[in-house]
Amino acid sequence: MGEQVGQKPKRELPRSRVLVAEQTAKIYRDAFAAKARGEKVGWSTAIFPQEICETLDIPVLYPENNAASISAKHLGGELIEHAEGAMQYPSRICSYARLNMALADKIQDPAYSKADPLMPSPDFLLLANNSCTQLMKWYECLSRDLGIPIFFIDCLFNYYEEKPAKHKITYIRKQIEKYIWDMEAFSGKKFDWDKFLEVQKRSQINSKLFDEIIRLNMRTPAPMSGFDFFNYMSCLVLARGKESTTVIFEQLKKEVEEHIANNTTTFPSEEKYRVHWEGIACWPNLGHNLKTLKNYNVNAVINGYVTAWNVDYEPGDLDSMASAYASSSTNSLSTNTIMNMRADTIENYNCDGMLCHVNRSCKMMTFHIFVGRHIIEERTGVPCANFDGDQSDERIYSEAQFETRLQGLVEIMQHRKEANHG
Amino acid sequence: MADLPEMLAELQSVADSPKKMLAKYLAQGKKVVGCFPIYTPAELVHAAGMIPMGVWGGQVNPSVAGQYAPIFICSIMRSCLEFGMLGKYKGLSAVIMPILCDSFRGMSGAWRVGVKDIPLIALIQPQNREVDGAREFLAAEYGVVKEKLEEIAGHKISGDAIENSIAIYNSHNATLREFARAANRHLDVITPKIRHAVMKSAHFMEKAEHAAKVKDIVLKLAELPEHKWTGRKVVLTGITAEPGDLLDILAENKIAVVGDDLAQESRQFRTDIPAGQDPLDRLAGQWLSRSACSVVHEKTSARPDLVIKLAKENRADGVIICLMSFCDVEEYEYPLLAKTTAQAGLPSVCIDIDQSTENSGQARTKLQTFVEML
Repeated sequence: MGEQVGQKPKRELPRSRVLVAEQTAKIYRDAFAAKARGEKVGWSTAIFPQEICETLDIPVLYPENNAASISAKHLGGELIEHAEGAMQYPSRICSYARLNMALADKIQDPAYSKADPLMPSPDFLLLANNSCTQLMKWYECLSRDLGIPIFFIDCLFNYYEEKPAKHKITYIRKQIEKYIWDMEAFSGKKFDWDKFLEVQKRSQINSKLFDEIIRLNMRTPAPMSGFDFFNYMSCLVLARGKESTTVIFEQLKKEVEEHIANNTTTFPSEEKYRVHWEGIACWPNLGHNLKTLKNYNVNAVINGYVTAWNVDYEPGDLDSMASAYASSSTNSLSTNTIMNMRADTIENYNCDGMLCHVNRSCKMMTFHIFVGRHIIEERTGVPCANFDGDQSDERIYSEAQFETRLQGLVEIMQHRKEANHG
Repeated sequence: MADLPEMLAELQSVADSPKKMLAKYLAQGKKVVGCFPIYTPAELVHAAGMIPMGVWGGQVNPSVAGQYAPIFICSIMRSCLEFGMLGKYKGLSAVIMPILCDSFRGMSGAWRVGVKDIPLIALIQPQNREVDGAREFLAAEYGVVKEKLEEIAGHKISGDAIENSIAIYNSHNATLREFARAANRHLDVITPKIRHAVMKSAHFMEKAEHAAKVKDIVLKLAELPEHKWTGRKVVLTGITAEPGDLLDILAENKIAVVGDDLAQESRQFRTDIPAGQDPLDRLAGQWLSRSACSVVHEKTSARPDLVIKLAKENRADGVIICLMSFCDVEEYEYPLLAKTTAQAGLPSVCIDIDQSTENSGQARTKLQTFVEML
């Protein structure tokens, strides 16, 4: 969800990237402007039904996206230190949470300006726990510390492999309905159901477009460095229901298709190996990740994280929407479900291996890796390698370990290739 | 009736060796279903004529659980997985697992891969308890659990049987609350370790049987003169306060436990199953009534107030925050607990609870310093 992958771009940014930066800047600018006008501004978890506030034209920002951006700029350390020090939060809780709760505290001082991007202090919180349970605890703390309400959609968890049962969908749909009424009352704005349908349709167009673009990377060699996709995830988090996202994705699709037509790629070296990247990016260490991957000619052509935002439902059908929000996140699905999806992806993208980020902040994603690794190996035969890291806490990642683990993976992938060709 | 030390020793033995209880019930031809922490509808297992038995891990340095469970997940879950993978839970017909946190989300998958011979019955409680439909949802979820238990029991579970089990569980709750009050009048006899054993043993015995034993203990205590405790008094809060060594350190430092907000202990007994027409709806109503617990979402956390109230009512000198290793739901609540208790004039100390080590050296030093502060 970060805004910049790597440190200094060596070539001119593609038009789509410029558009992403402009869209993000506008969303933040609009939120600050609304706050200055005395209007209410919200903070939301990343896979919350954004369609409702989009319909009501209420500005919302996303702490997970914001924490990723701050971390990618190496500005998170001081905030994390504040959370663990003055605020007394244990260092074992999610680093996004630590960073964001510290930011929420710091921005109460109008003179504070160190973090980038800054967010205005929220007037309400939008919480969906489909990504994890820690989000619930994190938002409880924010709500209590800031004295602001939470609008909560409890998305449950799919502990088995079947689709969410009827009683689960009914419970989630009722929450969405209540949220709409509550948000109408809270904002004093009338909910326009026709506009809601249009926002739902737009959200579906955007999700499907992004999915189509990602699928273009099935080609060998891939037209994109897989890490480039991280740059566009903010569109789906901050602006899944906006037309401006459609414009960006159409532009991106055109650019990728041009690469395919010209047989060029954004991957900065020869693509000898293709891997599936499992887990959230190490935002503070993206530069090192990418440089090392490049040095070993490994393109992480696909990862599960960038496809986590595909909230696929039938516009106009609240049951369908409820089911989608209950099943969209990697962390809302059983390991069997997720890892079988990953095995499909590895086959479809012709991957030679899987590189797994054991993210200290994310228990559930790590469980998927530990519990589901055998599914990948048995179904696809490709080797897997783990490395330790964190989405925001720079203290966990070791450059030497990352390189060693990647090197080991490359050796196995090389032997397999030689064996297959020999 | 046996004498008091004998009664207490029996429950201590149950708390220390749940495996013996499992063997005992299996020898009686009963089916036993494991119940993971913290809240499961154990009443349904009971109503099926089976024995619900708590699965709370134990002190073990995992040797095989690491295959599926990363080192940074809840210490109890790692121990449970370790014991499951090593066959220590052999004999259980199934386990019920409530998906209350991220460690449980992951454990539901790890258990299915690592402990294939003990089937998993998963369930999830609604966290948005204010919404119309939460109670209906949970009753339906319990209905699915009931069907799975019926398959294991080999017969239907009647509404009357569930009502009967609910009555037994509510009565057991009242008995344990009565024990907690009685214990405070006899802190010389009911040491921290014994108090813990009486409460913990409830997880491994049929509830009517356990309630009868605890009632006898309360009667025996009533025969003794009230003891005037001259040492310090504390309230415990957290998931568990183990191992026993930790509680021995309290006793060595003349610290008595006069109240607890532990998930393994009083959180189990403080919320009764409400009255109602339909038994599954009544069980769902209990979840909706639960409060002041880290795995339950509330608009305003009631836990600090509850801990302070417990401390004040029982004239405690301080609070021990028993922070389960890698239990994130508890970790998020730590700063508020520490701050609020301090504001109420109650000193607190935070002790790491870790099932993967027997070493209580750090806790000993912290508690020795703490007692000097009180």
